[in-house]
Amino acid sequence: MKPVVSPPHLSTPEFHTACTALVNSFDALQDALKKRRWLDVTLDPTENMLRIAKELPVVANSHQDEFAHEGPEIEDDDDDDDERLHSMTNNPPIVHYDVLLSPSYRVPVLYFYVSDTLHRYPPTMDTLYSYMIAPEHVEQTKDVGVLGGVTITDHPILNRPVFFIHPCRTAQVIEASLGAREVSPIEYLLMWIGAMGKTVGLDVQIELFLKASELTEKA
Amino acid sequence: MDVTALLRERVWSASIPLEISLHTADCASYDAPPYLVHVPRLSYLAFLLPKLHAFFYTSLIYPSVTPTEAWLDYEHVPLKWHYPLGLLYDLYSGAEPAPSHDTSAEHAQVPSHEDEETPPWKLTLHFSSYPEDQLVQLDAQEKHIHDLFINNVKEADFLRNGTGKTVMSLSKEDSEQLWEGVKQRDFKRFTRVNNKFLNPQGATLRHVPMRLYLPHAASPQAGHLVSSSPHVQEVGTYEKGVITGSVRVVQGLVPLSSSSRQRQTVGTALHTLLPNLFRNTRGPCLIAAPVLHGAILPLDAGLEELIRTTTYVDGWLHIAFVML
Repeated sequence: MKPVVSPPHLSTPEFHTACTALVNSFDALQDALKKRRWLDVTLDPTENMLRIAKELPVVANSHQDEFAHEGPEIEDDDDDDDERLHSMTNNPPIVHYDVLLSPSYRVPVLYFYVSDTLHRYPPTMDTLYSYMIAPEHVEQTKDVGVLGGVTITDHPILNRPVFFIHPCRTAQVIEASLGAREVSPIEYLLMWIGAMGKTVGLDVQIELFLKASELTEKA
Repeated sequence: MDVTALLRERVWSASIPLEISLHTADCASYDAPPYLVHVPRLSYLAFLLPKLHAFFYTSLIYPSVTPTEAWLDYEHVPLKWHYPLGLLYDLYSGAEPAPSHDTSAEHAQVPSHEDEETPPWKLTLHFSSYPEDQLVQLDAQEKHIHDLFINNVKEADFLRNGTGKTVMSLSKEDSEQLWEGVKQRDFKRFTRVNNKFLNPQGATLRHVPMRLYLPHAASPQAGHLVSSSPHVQEVGTYEKGVITGSVRVVQGLVPLSSSSRQRQTVGTALHTLLPNLFRNTRGPCLIAAPVLHGAILPLDAGLEELIRTTTYVDGWLHIAFVML
């Protein structure tokens, strides 16, 4: 596969190639067990948007028990409790990670939000630090910019507030991890996910990484 | 004063009369008077919300609500407080934009007639049922609006210079001056820092920071938002279709001078970004027209002149479209 022409920047066709390779690798992993950490990976060809869906992991942060204590009647009433548990198991909250190529910075940008039938995870800084960012990453994330390195903005396609990692430093990060190496678009994308996704719960599972390498070599 | 500076100042001082009423669901009395105010086109509603809270405080059903619960709507469209007011007005008010009679490129139309005769734009103020799926919630320290503003400033700088160096190398004092200039409506403070962006040392302007805001009807692909995945069921009304007043934001890399050294105009840029709507670089589109600061943009207006005179305070040309 042809290497990325002008790293750390990615062209639109290169981004498309990388996303397609990731979707193919995901689809090639037939074993549902192996796929379960990411529920789905799709490419929206009209928007050139990669969408990764994952169940919201239960984060044991300090605010975790807030919802259980929301109303006193829930604690006292066993039926309500069961119903709540039941609805949670049937419709677990899903984190959507949408990756788009920034038309200005020419690097991928990560937007993410939670869809939840009970609307428990609105796009607020409170949700972000209570559920999306692992406790060990909170300090380093808060320590950048006006509000931190991860903030809220309008999703470029959905045009409603979602979390995002501002791309103004992405090129630097990619440049630093690349050094003088040449990489294929899919390698670039996997490396980008590794660098940007970790703090917000998006990581590449090893099986997917291996499958992507395997498919790349064949091509 | 040269024409550029004159236009810059006129754009800066243009304002829109607003008449704001408290929504009945939040109002304890039947006769709370509306709040009347002229707000600059370049300003943000975020700065107005705390004042509205103070004004309507005594009429509130629940006086304990904080200013951060406040939000405004126009005919059931929640208004994004981080969009400049002029953009919101051009997008939603339905007011007829001024025609672009003067088609000479050096005189891009700037509205001079937004005076007493303009009827106030009637907005409704809410302190409950915050539409958190559609609006970022304001915070007491105005950090969100500051963050969104700075992100736009950075991106505009990156587009103009290809590096974003100018913003990154701003002194702390200059960054504060810029933000205070915006907040306090201090033209001199703002312009001093903004001029550094427009005249980067040792660099020429490369790309045009411009965003296009299309009403949904104008964009056939905009409905294509629902996840195609069979595994993931999306929730929330916004996923299922188009919400009231939602717009499609389009941006791309628009070089200031094209490879053929042809002067970049509004027409050439629209032809590049919206080829389906603007099929050639000069002829107008028959169904939609670009509007900036209340006037229809002439297609032959030069982009460099526009950048130097008519951008919003974050450095962007935020262009609304009206359906013809």
